[in-house]
Amino acid sequence: MWLANSNRALGSARTSVRFVAWLLVPLYLLGVLALYTAFIYAPTERVMGEVQRIFYFHVGAAWTAFLAFFFVFLGGVIYLMRRNVFWDYLAAASAEVGVIFTTIVLVTGPIWARPVWNTWWPWGDPRVTTTLVLWLIYVAYLILRNSLGEGEKRARFSAVFGIIGFIDVPIVWLSIRWWRTIHPVVITKTGASLEPEMVQALIVSVATFTVFYIALMCLRLAMHLHNSAAEEMAQAVRERSE
Amino acid sequence: MNNLKLIWWLALKDLKIEYRSRQAFLTTLFFAVLILIIFNFAFDPGSNATREASPGILWVALLFPGIIQLNRSFQSEVEEGTLQGIVLSPVDRGVFFLGKFMANWLFLVAIDMLILAAFVVFFNFTLSGGLLWVLLLMVLVGIGFTAVGTVFAAMVSNIRIREVLLPILLFPIIVPIILAAVNGTREVLIHNDFSTLFRWMQLLIAFDVIFLAAGFLVFDYVVGE
Amino acid sequence: MANPSLPLVRLTGLTKKFGAVSAVRNLNFQIHRGDFVAIFGPNGAGKTTLLKMVAGLTSPTSGEVKFEGDRSARARAETGYVSHQTLLYNELTGRENLLFYARLYGLDGGADLADSMLSRVGLAEARNLMVRGFSRGMKQRLTLGRALLHEPRLLLLDEPYTGLDQHGSRLLTRLLGTLRAEGRTVLMITHNLAEGLELSTRVMILHRGKLAHQARQEELTRSALENLYFEIVER
Repeated sequence: MWLANSNRALGSARTSVRFVAWLLVPLYLLGVLALYTAFIYAPTERVMGEVQRIFYFHVGAAWTAFLAFFFVFLGGVIYLMRRNVFWDYLAAASAEVGVIFTTIVLVTGPIWARPVWNTWWPWGDPRVTTTLVLWLIYVAYLILRNSLGEGEKRARFSAVFGIIGFIDVPIVWLSIRWWRTIHPVVITKTGASLEPEMVQALIVSVATFTVFYIALMCLRLAMHLHNSAAEEMAQAVRERSE
Repeated sequence: MNNLKLIWWLALKDLKIEYRSRQAFLTTLFFAVLILIIFNFAFDPGSNATREASPGILWVALLFPGIIQLNRSFQSEVEEGTLQGIVLSPVDRGVFFLGKFMANWLFLVAIDMLILAAFVVFFNFTLSGGLLWVLLLMVLVGIGFTAVGTVFAAMVSNIRIREVLLPILLFPIIVPIILAAVNGTREVLIHNDFSTLFRWMQLLIAFDVIFLAAGFLVFDYVVGE
Repeated sequence: MANPSLPLVRLTGLTKKFGAVSAVRNLNFQIHRGDFVAIFGPNGAGKTTLLKMVAGLTSPTSGEVKFEGDRSARARAETGYVSHQTLLYNELTGRENLLFYARLYGLDGGADLADSMLSRVGLAEARNLMVRGFSRGMKQRLTLGRALLHEPRLLLLDEPYTGLDQHGSRLLTRLLGTLRAEGRTVLMITHNLAEGLELSTRVMILHRGKLAHQARQEELTRSALENLYFEIVER
């Protein structure tokens, strides 16, 4: 079932945007709360100092980066089952937002790692390197989409790649972990004990990022739906003018 | 319809075509040897550091030509539309996948063996039993690489930038088997550590099984229209 | 379950869109056993897309293609397809190509079948020559052989006369005449109004993805068809 009716696409887009509108207030409040808890409420970490506060945003972004990829996978699977392009747009929107969050993780990581571990990039750490591979898969997904024109072929291929990528990520994580245990990397798990306030700040941050992801993803989804509807209408005009 | 025979006939068709021109085999082989040679100029040939790094060099020399061959494997199908010929027939898409996979994998293993010989010569390794283990690694890595690679090669076969797109799609996915390949080779040839080798092989086998099954199942979505 | 009293192929609400562009729109048509349908239409009318959907090469965006009520992909085994591309392997000989296809379609005695088909299309002499060395006419004949190898109930031809010389054209017309006499079901896209009309039992005119007109061959003279065609196209 294709979105043959541009009105239906517009309707879905409208619902999506309205949903985001509802999220704006909670998002704003959460955002303020997150900033407060991260910078003021949570105590300064003894060993690492102030730079540790980046940890809250880093983890928040990392969680959403992987959550987004789950939706890329899910959108692909449902598309292949139902052949409704809405799910393909959802997967694409999720990928577009996901890659941004993954980039945030990869940028905040080294900023935190260098002063604490004296290295920009701890290759042996499975979380770090898996996130890098996730980023590569995201980018590959988007490049693939970009090189194919609008249509069911692009949706099909994206879905297949998304599924293969999703199956692969846990295997990547495992393989890097084995790699690390064989070559013990200099970085040992920082025995940073998390005080309760820190845990709370972390939860707030994760919640904020999740809502932020949902909002952004719905906006991108609405944009894809709008584009699709616009293209349908333009095509209708072209045909009538022939 | 005997599916196993079909897989063999499909593979045989590709191998026959390859044999007729022999162009791909020789140029791919040449390219791989070239990479080995270039790395010998890039690194200090005698040093210990280079020796430690040599498994990585070996696998780079195998992977890049492997990608080129994957792309070519579908060019013959795009040329005169022969892909349509197979899709039109009652042959199961999964069977078609396995046929292509088999041809690609056999081709790859053949090249791998010759490159290993060149590698031993250029990097001064002694002929030992360890080499047989490396061959086994090549066989296993070849399966995972070819399984995922065949799916992606089919996808990009009609895209203009396929030469650069295939590695972009494939390399992130095969990171685990690259790790297994390089580390496994290093353990066996340089450190003589078999327990670690076996652990990596377990990972390889798991990867192979998972992605061979995945390729079989999704191929319908890739070649059907 | 195949039911012989139903039409051989039934197209219901068949639609194909590429992105926003509709190549085929809501097409309804029935093909009966023994029909020889000539499909006419200007470029971009959706003829090739329609044929590909009937062949099973392209899946419709909506609507369906039914074979005697049976919707399964087994119907692929009953269909032969000839298009602009030869679907032949240049690096294999004529014989090897046919043998390969015989195996694809699960036919017993592949080697003998290949040999007899080669004779039928007049290529017995060239059987061990690689297709790369064939002339255009030879390739076209081998393609027909490939399409007919598995005795398909339904034969789909996409502008088979393109690029054929006199000799090849004559051979093709003769072959098609034989198929018609044998009562095979054929769908043929052609730009050649005269040839198409003469060979066919029914005529379809496609325009902008829609079925603009259909008629039985007896109902039309050549000039009537021409007038009708240009009237539709200029609409």
